[in-house]
Amino acid sequence: MSPLATLGVTAALHIAALGVTATAQQPVATQLAGRVPATVVVAVSALADSAATRGLPVEPLVEKAIEGGAKAATPERIVAAVQAVLARLGRAQGALQAAGVATPAPDAIEAGGFALSAGLEVGNVQAVALACGTRYSAAVALRVAGTLSALGVPPAQTVELVKQTLRSGAKERDLLALPGRVEAQVAQGATPGQAAAGLARAAAARAAAPGQNRVPPRGQSSSHRP
Amino acid sequence: MTTVFHPLVKRFLDGELHLADLPPELHAEARAAERLLGAVDRAAVTLPAGLDARVMAEVRKRATAPSGARRWWHGLVASREIRVRYRLWTLGPALAAAAALVLLLTPARPVVEAGMPVVATAPESVFVRFVLFAPGAHQVSVAGTFNQWSVTAAPLALTGAAGVWTATVALPVGQHQYAFVVDGRRWVNDPAAPTVDDGFGRRNSVMAVGAGVRAL
Repeated sequence: MSPLATLGVTAALHIAALGVTATAQQPVATQLAGRVPATVVVAVSALADSAATRGLPVEPLVEKAIEGGAKAATPERIVAAVQAVLARLGRAQGALQAAGVATPAPDAIEAGGFALSAGLEVGNVQAVALACGTRYSAAVALRVAGTLSALGVPPAQTVELVKQTLRSGAKERDLLALPGRVEAQVAQGATPGQAAAGLARAAAARAAAPGQNRVPPRGQSSSHRP
Repeated sequence: MTTVFHPLVKRFLDGELHLADLPPELHAEARAAERLLGAVDRAAVTLPAGLDARVMAEVRKRATAPSGARRWWHGLVASREIRVRYRLWTLGPALAAAAALVLLLTPARPVVEAGMPVVATAPESVFVRFVLFAPGAHQVSVAGTFNQWSVTAAPLALTGAAGVWTATVALPVGQHQYAFVVDGRRWVNDPAAPTVDDGFGRRNSVMAVGAGVRAL
């Protein structure tokens, strides 16, 4: 390729990249326009700027504001709800960093925030993230943990079930199936805690039997990878 | 005649879904599609007598060497093996140029207006069936993080059973919070799903969707 052509391609790439960035990071004010009162747009835009500066995802804030608008909540209530989301995201980020993730991914932070909103504590989020190591997606594990908590599984049993399931080498789809399995046992008369404890014991037994359903570290190819 | 079947009916024809998995409103279409396909499958294929001989005669005729204009034409259109050699350092700029072209030709995403349905464009989606028993309701929809809480984007349809409303919605893989909206103003939780505080004095139903798996 000639130097002139290379220069042209480079310029085109830069222009395209600028366009993509502008599209993907649509201003918060534009996304909220017409959905919430103007005062909320201003307040949420400021909160979003603060979140972005701290490396937190902005989308959950916008979503919460839109939800408040759809539910006809008062401006004060919408802003308070968005502030609460921002606070949870910050706590989730701290928990992930304490678990050894220097720069947590936005989806992991968001999942951690959800887990906190569902009743888990910062220490629980940290424990789940630690159990994921490099083999599992912290985002998926935290979403599942949050869903289990929302089902009524106490935090300690939630963490234990997720940890034992990860330790047993289960696939991500098995992890995602946990809430449904808990609910099935609850339908048969168990409490959420009992159901989770039973599933955790079963997972621990599988973990004790090596070589079954092992998931390789992320980045390695395997036909068993979820 | 061109018949376009509903995507779920196509999955039914492919054997991925059973008839019972489909919403009741698609049962008639599924049965019609099955009948149509069954008739096609069972139709016997009868080849005309002497076809083999005619085909082989044509093959032998074309196997003879062409001449003049036919040879020139044959050389132009006949398939042949082409070998392309490329150097590794040319691959990067070529891919970059292709990517730039695609990005430049892609139209900008329109601004989502209030009340406009939002189409999920996640690479992986899972069909989820929502069911609500709401006798006396005139209108039911499901609103959530997957459709920007639009109260009109995902309406449920009244089934044959009295008061049972259903809708099958393609949800992107991930975590979703949602609620049913009855008659455009009453927000109702899904009784079949766990809930979390929504921050507005109500609760949202929660669902985790994985590739091929719905957690709840």
